[in-house]
Amino acid sequence: MDVSSTFSQAALPSPDLPGSGPVVAFHNVTIAFEGPPVLENITFSVAPVETRILLGPAGVGKSVLLKLIIGLLRPDAGSVTLFGQDISSMPEEKLFPLRARTGMIFQEGALFDSLSVRDNVAYQLIQQGKVTDADIDARVREALRFVGLEETFSLFPDSLSGGMRRRVAIARGLINDPELLLYDSPTGGLDPVTSTNIIELIVKQRDVNRTPSLMVTHRLQDAFALCTHHYDTECGCMVPLANGEVDPNTTFLMLNEGRLIFDGTLHQLLHSEDPFVREFLQ
Amino acid sequence: MAIKRLDRTARQIVYAVQEYSLFAWRALTNLYRPPIYWSEFLMQADIIGVGSLSIVILSGISTGGVLALQSAATLSAFGATAVTGQFVSLTMIRELGPVLTGIMVSGRNASSMASELGSMVVTEQIDAMRALGVDPMRKLVTPRIFSSIAMLFFLTIVSDACGIFGGGLVTVLMNHQNGTQYFSMAWEHLRFPDIVQGLVKPLFFGYILGSIGCYYGMNTTGGTQGVGRSTIQAVVTASVLIIFVDFLITQILLTLFSGWM
Repeated sequence: MDVSSTFSQAALPSPDLPGSGPVVAFHNVTIAFEGPPVLENITFSVAPVETRILLGPAGVGKSVLLKLIIGLLRPDAGSVTLFGQDISSMPEEKLFPLRARTGMIFQEGALFDSLSVRDNVAYQLIQQGKVTDADIDARVREALRFVGLEETFSLFPDSLSGGMRRRVAIARGLINDPELLLYDSPTGGLDPVTSTNIIELIVKQRDVNRTPSLMVTHRLQDAFALCTHHYDTECGCMVPLANGEVDPNTTFLMLNEGRLIFDGTLHQLLHSEDPFVREFLQ
Repeated sequence: MAIKRLDRTARQIVYAVQEYSLFAWRALTNLYRPPIYWSEFLMQADIIGVGSLSIVILSGISTGGVLALQSAATLSAFGATAVTGQFVSLTMIRELGPVLTGIMVSGRNASSMASELGSMVVTEQIDAMRALGVDPMRKLVTPRIFSSIAMLFFLTIVSDACGIFGGGLVTVLMNHQNGTQYFSMAWEHLRFPDIVQGLVKPLFFGYILGSIGCYYGMNTTGGTQGVGRSTIQAVVTASVLIIFVDFLITQILLTLFSGWM
C-alpha cells in the first residue's frame, strides 16, 4: 500500500518552540552489556509538546533507550540530558526529583501486586506525603476516570486483565501531572480493541495536556494512528485528522542493530530510501 | 583455559564481595538520612519478629530439652547431674540460642526477602519504584535489615528462655531431678560476659540475614528461575556466614572478657 501520498502536514505549531530547550537530549550515547553495544552513538532530542515514536524490531534496545532517559541505566559513553540537566553520571539521590517529574509506563504495567489499584495509582502522592487522603482519593478517581477504569479503585492488580493493567499504569503515570511521558510498548500483546483504547488515551494526553512524550512500539498501525488522529473533546473520542493531515508534533525515530537509522516526520519515514526502513514498513 | 576460568571466577567473587559491601554499607547509612520509612520498619518487624515467634519457641524448647537429655546422660557418669541447669543455660545463652535463632530466622526470612524482592525485580516493580522517584534501598532494603537486627535480638532472648524452660521440663519430668536446683544452677552461674556474648551475636546475625536476603533479591536476574536461584543462594550464604561469623565473634569476645572468666 502506498500510504506516502495520503498524508500531509497539519497546520499546527512546530515542536521547536523558540526559547525552549529540548526536554530530553541524547548525544552520542553508547551502552553495552557483556558483549557488543546494544545502543551505539545515539543522538536525538524530544522538544516540548513533541511526541516521538520509537520504532524498531524486538530486542533492538528500545526499552534500554527509555530507561537511559530517566537514569535507570547509565550510558557507557555520551551524554543524556533530562530537563536541561546532564544525568549521565548524576548520583541516584539527585535523580529521584527529576524522575518524579516524568511518567513512565512499563511494558507489562509493572504495577505493585501487593497494593490496590488506588494505592498503585496514588503511589507517588502517598510517598511525597504532602496530599491529604481525601485529595488523594479524588485525584486517583480523576486519573482512573481518564483511563475509563474508575470502577477498579479498590481492586488488586491480579484481578485485572492485561489491558486494564496497562491503563492503570497509564493512570499512575499521569497522576502527578508529568512533564514528560515515556510509554514502553503500551499495546504490546493486546487485542486490537484494547490497543485502540490505549492509543486513544495517548492521543488524548497529547492533545489535551500537551505533554511531551516518547512511545516505544513495533506496531506500525499504532504509530500511524497516533500520527493521523487527534482527540476531539466534543465527542470525547479519537477522530482522524481532516484531509489526510498528520500531526506535525508527532515524529519518528527508528532503531536497527543498535543504531538510530531514522529521525524525521511520517512523510520522511514513508519516503525513506533506507532499505531496512522500507522493509520494516512493508 | 583452566587458568582463564579460575581468573574469571576469582574476579567474579571479588566483584560480588565488593558489590555486597557497598550494598550493605549504603543500606546502613540510609538510616541517618531522610526519608526514613518508619511504617515499613514496623511492618517488617511484625513479619520477621511475630511471624518467626512460633518456630523460635518450638526450636528453643526442643533444643533445651535435647541438651538436658544429653548432658544428664554424660554428667551422671561423673555424679554431676546437679550442674545440668548451668550447662543448659550457658550453652543456650552463649551459643545455641543466637546461632539456632539466626539460622531458623534466616531460613524463613532471608528466603522470603530474596524471593519477594527478586520477583519485584523481574516484574520491573523495582524499576517502576525508581521511576516514580522512590529509592528502593530506603523503602525496601533498609527497613528489612534493621527490622531483622532488632527482631533477632528479641527472638534470641525468647529462644534462650524457651531453651532453659525446655531443659527444665526434661530435667523434672524425664530425668526426675529437682526443678529448683536446675533453675537455681541455671541462674546463679550466669556471668556478665555470657549475657553480652548472647546479646551481641544476634545483632550481627540479624544484619547478615537481612543484608544477604536483600542483596540476592535485588540482584536477581533470569526470570522466575532466577528468583528460585536467588532464594537458595540467600539461605545458604546467610546460614554459612552466620556460623562463620559466630566463630569470629566468639573468639573476639572470649579474648575481650578473658579477665572475667
